[in-house]
Amino acid sequence: MTGHPPIEFDAVSVEFAGRMALREVSVVLTERRIAVIGSNGSGKSTFARMLNGLVTPSSGTVRVHGLDTTREAKQLRRRVGFIFSNPDAQIVMPTVAEDVAFSLRGRNLPRHEVAERVSATLGRYGLTTLADAPAHTLSGGQKQLLALAAILIREPALVVADEPTALLDAANTRCIANHLLDELPQQLVLVTHDMRLAARCDVVLRFEEGRMLECGDPRDVIAHYEREHA
Amino acid sequence: MIALYVPGTSPIHRMPAGPKVLTFMALTLAITLSARSAWALLIVFAFVVGGYLLAGLGMRDLFRQVVVVRWVVLVMLIAQLVFLPPLVAVANTGRVLAVIVLAALITLTARIPDLLEATERSLAPLRRFGVNPASVGLLLAMTITAIPVIAGFAASIREAQRARGVPLRIGTFVVPLLVMALKHSDDLADALIARGVE
Repeated sequence: MTGHPPIEFDAVSVEFAGRMALREVSVVLTERRIAVIGSNGSGKSTFARMLNGLVTPSSGTVRVHGLDTTREAKQLRRRVGFIFSNPDAQIVMPTVAEDVAFSLRGRNLPRHEVAERVSATLGRYGLTTLADAPAHTLSGGQKQLLALAAILIREPALVVADEPTALLDAANTRCIANHLLDELPQQLVLVTHDMRLAARCDVVLRFEEGRMLECGDPRDVIAHYEREHA
Repeated sequence: MIALYVPGTSPIHRMPAGPKVLTFMALTLAITLSARSAWALLIVFAFVVGGYLLAGLGMRDLFRQVVVVRWVVLVMLIAQLVFLPPLVAVANTGRVLAVIVLAALITLTARIPDLLEATERSLAPLRRFGVNPASVGLLLAMTITAIPVIAGFAASIREAQRARGVPLRIGTFVVPLLVMALKHSDDLADALIARGVE
């Protein structure tokens, strides 16, 4: 399914401490569900982190929904929500409701509106009864749901999830995956080692040693990947 | 661990965060300057107990705050007993304990965002000196959030060492704890940037 504002990589390379994390990546993506696969150290996370300006290119340009990720990073981060693999490192405030409400800081919204939006968001992700619970006492799956809620309350146009199910068991993986792949209205870029999740996307990018080897139909790209790593 | 908010509708819950903190500061000063007698100490503790009861919290909540800081209190008391008469040492330690338990009453009866807002408002006049009130407020909140996370790292390290038969030593404990804490702070910084905090 295409039609979303483009994600554009134009001859992008990234170098960290003498090592090429990404090499000459060029691609234009307008699909709704985009999966990124590859072995460890292949450049998947670097690619994902460029989408909200956490990593900037050493050469080339990255534009996300028309915004240059180097020069317009601040505006970009209002449009891009990012979910990391480790839910513990995403919790900023002590309780669940406070952490979700934190995302609305700086918008100068009236208190009652913040409370309403937090309440609605917690309800959407089954966290209402945990509103006043200490965030660090939640299970891994609940913490990742909290991370998702905290991102989506800001209504980003693009959600980037970097191995969001890496530390979760099967049931929680299914729960998070369903929220991301079935229920999310926004465009999604999903970095994953789980080929079942990649197969549910509209397009799959495959990375190896910093190069983008393929970009295409999930069945084909996943089949090639599994053949090489069998 | 810093006490977390317990929902309620008591007069202390309903007091705005700013006046609550100012009242706490005034009480801290009063406790510090109070006479160093057993009677004064008893009055201070009666006041603290009264505060918890007025907040709709029980003695169990108060006792929990004392248990959390028991080792700090013990070390403080023993250190003072070496140099001071017993009654003076007990009175000093008692006053510090009373202030700690009163401080816990604030976080038990006020939501962190309200405390942050009050902190930021009170620091606003210092903007002209280069102080960013929002950053200070965020730092306080994240300190509160980080305490149980770091405690979790410490527990993981001890478990891993026990599993490998490694005796607990400062070097083999502190270094991995520092490494994990620094990694966590890096990850947290990325998460904050991703959530629009510059």
